[in-house]
Amino acid sequence: MDEFLQSLNIQVITDIAIVALRILIPLLGIIVVFQCYSSMRRQRRDEKPLIMLENTATGEVLPVLCWENSIGRANRNDIVIADDLAVSREHCVILRRKEGWFISDTGSKTGTFVNGEQTQGRVPIFINDEIKIGKDTFILKRAQDYTITNRSWFIKKEGSKEGIAPFALMMLISIFTLFMAAEACLSIEANDFQPLVVYAAFMAVAWIFYIVSTKVFKRVGFELEGLALFLTGIGVMLSVRQGLHQTYVQIIACAIGMAFFCFMIKFLQNPDRVNKWRLAIMIIAVGFLAVNIVFGTIRGGAANWIMIGGVSIQPSEFVKIAYIFVGASALDQLQTKKNFIVFIIFSAICIGALFIMSDFGTALIFFGTFIMISIVRSGDYKTVVVSIVGAIFGGLLILRFKPYIADRFSGWGKAFENSDNSLGYQTARVLTYAASGGLFGCGLGNGYLKYVGASESDLVFGLVCEELGLIVALTIAVSIGGLFFYARAITTKSRSTFYSISACCAAGLLVLQSSLNIFGATDILPLTGVTLPFISVGGSSMIACWGLLAFIKAADERTYSIKKR
Amino acid sequence: MKQVRTRSMFVFVLVLLFFAGIIYFTVNICINADSWVQHSYNGHTSGSGGLEKAGKIFDRNGVVLAQTVDGSRIYNEDYDTRLSTLHVVGDNSLNISTAVQSVYRSELTGFSYIWGLEMPQSFRGGNNLTLTIDSDACKTAYNALGGMNGAVVVMNYKTGEILCSVSCKTYDPQNPPELTEENESEYDGAYLNHVLSSSYTPGSIFKIVTAAAALENMPDIDSRTFECNGSAIIGGEEVTCMAHHGTINLDDGLAQSCNIVFAQLAYELGRDKMTAAANELGVNSSYDIGHAPTVKGQYDVKNASDNDLAWSGIGQYTDLTNPMQMCILMSAIANGGNRAEPYYVQSISGSDYSPFTGTEQSGKAMLKSSTAQKLNDMMRYTVSSNYGDYMFGGNLTVCAKTGTAEVKEGESNDAWIVGFTRDEDVPLAFAVVVEDGNFGLTTAGPVASAAIQACAQTLRN
Repeated sequence: MDEFLQSLNIQVITDIAIVALRILIPLLGIIVVFQCYSSMRRQRRDEKPLIMLENTATGEVLPVLCWENSIGRANRNDIVIADDLAVSREHCVILRRKEGWFISDTGSKTGTFVNGEQTQGRVPIFINDEIKIGKDTFILKRAQDYTITNRSWFIKKEGSKEGIAPFALMMLISIFTLFMAAEACLSIEANDFQPLVVYAAFMAVAWIFYIVSTKVFKRVGFELEGLALFLTGIGVMLSVRQGLHQTYVQIIACAIGMAFFCFMIKFLQNPDRVNKWRLAIMIIAVGFLAVNIVFGTIRGGAANWIMIGGVSIQPSEFVKIAYIFVGASALDQLQTKKNFIVFIIFSAICIGALFIMSDFGTALIFFGTFIMISIVRSGDYKTVVVSIVGAIFGGLLILRFKPYIADRFSGWGKAFENSDNSLGYQTARVLTYAASGGLFGCGLGNGYLKYVGASESDLVFGLVCEELGLIVALTIAVSIGGLFFYARAITTKSRSTFYSISACCAAGLLVLQSSLNIFGATDILPLTGVTLPFISVGGSSMIACWGLLAFIKAADERTYSIKKR
Repeated sequence: MKQVRTRSMFVFVLVLLFFAGIIYFTVNICINADSWVQHSYNGHTSGSGGLEKAGKIFDRNGVVLAQTVDGSRIYNEDYDTRLSTLHVVGDNSLNISTAVQSVYRSELTGFSYIWGLEMPQSFRGGNNLTLTIDSDACKTAYNALGGMNGAVVVMNYKTGEILCSVSCKTYDPQNPPELTEENESEYDGAYLNHVLSSSYTPGSIFKIVTAAAALENMPDIDSRTFECNGSAIIGGEEVTCMAHHGTINLDDGLAQSCNIVFAQLAYELGRDKMTAAANELGVNSSYDIGHAPTVKGQYDVKNASDNDLAWSGIGQYTDLTNPMQMCILMSAIANGGNRAEPYYVQSISGSDYSPFTGTEQSGKAMLKSSTAQKLNDMMRYTVSSNYGDYMFGGNLTVCAKTGTAEVKEGESNDAWIVGFTRDEDVPLAFAVVVEDGNFGLTTAGPVASAAIQACAQTLRN
C-alpha cells in the first residue's frame, strides 16, 4: 500500500511539474516580448541635427529637424516654403552626413544657389552660408533647441522608466529557452537529455553573439536581437524532437545569420556607400537567380534550391535582402525618376525568375514587397495600380497553366472536406492538432503534427499551437507584427530615408511572409508554402531573416552612435 | 522624411490586416476547437487515447453501456447488448463517426480548449451521458435480425426520444476486429450506423410519398379508380404489378400495394409535383440528430423518361431513402403533420446540454393535417385489412406499410417496413430495413414487431 501511494505521488508530482512548465513557458514568452518592446518604446535623448534656416528678408526661422529634409512648396515636405511659385513642389534636399551638411537640388525649375553659385549634385554647406531657394535667401545657423514634432504613439513619453538591461533580457531568454528544453526532455516518446545538449549549443551561440554585440561593437540596445533569439529558440526547441541533424543545422545557420547581421550593419553604416554598390548588388542577385534557374533542383513543386558542396541553398531567400537594398535610397536620389525605374526593372526580373522556378509563394512575397516599397518611396499609385493589374493577369496565367495551383484554390477553406486527399490533408491536420494543443500546448515532442510533411517549415505555426499552445503562437505573431510598428515609429529619426524605407519594408516583408505562412497553414488563405521567419527550419531562410533584421536595426540612429562612457 | 512616414501608412494597413487575421484565427479556434479535434486521424484521441478519464454512458434505464475502469474502457458485460448498441455508443476509436463516443467525445472526456487534449491524467475528469435508447429493446431487435444486415429504429414520436436503434453489420467494441484485406468484405459497412448514414431503395414504402402528393394535388382522388391487369403501359413502356388487382381505388391500392395505381399517379402528377412532394417530405434533405447528420435520400427525376417517372412513384428508378428519415416521416403522419425531432442523448452531467434547440420540441410542420390524417387512416387500413393485427402482438394499434425493393434484377431484395402506433401511452414511430431480405412483410415485419413490442413494454412499465 505504501509503495502504491509513493508511486502515485511521483506521478502526481511529475504531472504538476509538467503543468507548471506549460503555464510558465507562455508566461515567460509574454514577458520577454513585452520587455523587448517596452524597451524599444522608451523615449531616449536623440542625437539631433542642430541647424536652422533663417530667412534674410523676414527673419523667419525654419528648423531643420531630420537627418534628411526635403524642401519645397508642397505641404508634404519636411520644410515647406509656401506662397512662392519660384519654388518647385520638391525643390531640394538638405541632408547631414558624417562629413557635415550638404544640399542637393532635386530637379527644381529655378535651381538652388549656395553663396550665389548654382549647385550641381550634392554640395557641402557650412554655417553662415547663404542659400537661395526661389526668391528667398536663407542663412544657415546653428540652432539651440527644438520642440519635438511628429512623435509616434509607439514611443513613450519622456521620463518613463528605464528599459530592461540587455543582460537581464538575455537571462530572461535563456530561462525561457531552458524551460522549453526541460519540457522537451519530459516528452512522451523519448526521455533523454538531448534537448539540454541542444540548449547548451544554442545558448553558447547566443551568448557569444551577445558579448560580441555589447562588448566588441559596444552597441546599445539588444531588443531586436533579443526578439530574434526568442523566436529562434522556439524554432530550435520545436525541432529537437523531430530530428537532431536539422536542429544543429538550424543553430549553425543562426550563427551564420548573426555574423551576417553584424556585417550588414557595418556595411549599411554609410548610406552613400550602399548606393555605390547598388548596381553590383543587383547583378549579384540576378546572377544568383540565374544560377538557380540553371542548376536548381525541385523540392515540393518549386525549383528553388541549389546544391553547393553538399549544402543546399535557397538563393531566393538572399535575393530578398538585395531587393530591399535596391528598393531603398537616400532622399535626394529618391526624388529622381531614374532611380525608381531601375527598381521596377529589377523587380520584374526577380519576380519573373521566381515564376520560372515555380516558386509562387516567394514571388508573392516579392510582389507584395514591391508594392510596399513603391508606395513608401514614391507615393506613385499609378505604378501600383498598373502592377496590381499585371499581377492579376499573371495570377490568371498561373491558374491556367499550373493546374495544381488552381487545385489549391479549390481546396481552400474546405480543409476538413478534403482531409483525406492532397488538397486538405495538411491544413486539416494543422487545424485539428492546433485545436488539440489548447492554450498551453501538449508539450514539446508530444505532438502528432510533426509526422506530417513540411510541419517544421510551412506548417510550423500549427506545430507551435499544438506543442506550445495558442498563447505562445499569438506571442510570436505579435512579436513579428510589432517589428513594423517599431520601424515606423523611428522613420523620421533615422539617419537617412534609405534606412527608414528599408526598415519599414523589411518589417513589412517579414509580416507579409508570416501572414502567408500562418494563414496558409490554417486554411484562411490558400497554402503557399513559405517559411515563418526565424522559427521554420531552413538555413537560408534563417540567415535571410537576420539580414532583414539588420535593416531595422540600422534604422535606429543609436546603432551608429558611439556609446558614451 | 515626413513623406516616408506618411506613405508607410499603407504598410501599416497591411500589418493591421495581419493582426485582424490573427484575431479571426483565434476566435475561430476558440469556438470550433471542439469539432476540430473530432477526427479519426487525430493521434491524440486514437486507440484508447482520450477515453482514459471519460465518463460513463447509461441507457434510459440506467444500464451502464460504457465506462472507464482504471484507465481502460469497459463496455456492457452482455455480448449481445454490446453488439446491438455499438452504433449508438461507439468504440474507442472514432470509427463510427455518428456514435455518441465520437460526437460527444469532448463532453465525455471533459475536453476544454483551454487545456487541450494532452493534459496529464491526474488533472482530467469526464462527464456522464444518459441516452434515450433502451438497451433491452436494442438487444431484442438485434436478435430478431438474426444475423441479417440492416437497420432498425424506433422512436417516441411525441418526444423525439429514440428508444431503439440497431445497425448490422456490427462488431464487439470490447474486442474490435482488425480490418485486413481478407476480412474487409465481411465487415463491409460495419463502421456505418445504417440508421443514419445509409440510404436504400425504398420500394413500395415510397407509395406513401406518392399518395401524399396525390392527396395534396388531386381533389377528386377519393373517387378515382384504377385498372390493374398485372401490368400496364405507362409512359410508353410497361409497369408490372405483383398481382392482378382489377378495378381498385387509392385506399386499397396502398393496402394491397398495387404498383399500377401509384405508377399511374406519379405519371399524372408529373416531375414537378412529385419532386415538390418528395422535397416537402424530406426525402432530399439531411436531418441533424444531435450533432450527427443523416445521409440525404434521393428523389431525382430531372432526366427520367416518362416510364422512369412512373417507376419512381413506386420507389424504384433511382429513389433512395434513409431509415431515420422515413421514421421522421412516420412521426409526422402520426402527429397530424408535425414531425418529431429525434435525439439519442437525454442528458449530460455537469453540462447545460438540452436535447432541444429552441422551440423545436413541438415539431415542425411537414404535411397538411388533413393529408396526415388521411395517410394515417390508409396505413391503419393496410394493417387491418392486409397484414393483420396479430402480427404486432395484438395489443398495439399499428399503422404500417411494407416495401420490397428490387436493388438489381435477379438479386435478393431490400425489405422495408415503416409505420407507427396509434396508442396514446405508446406513441412509437418505426422504420426497419433488412438487406438481402425476401419480402418486406415476412422479413422486416417480424423484426419491427419485436422491436416495437420491446419498446412498448419499456414505456408501459
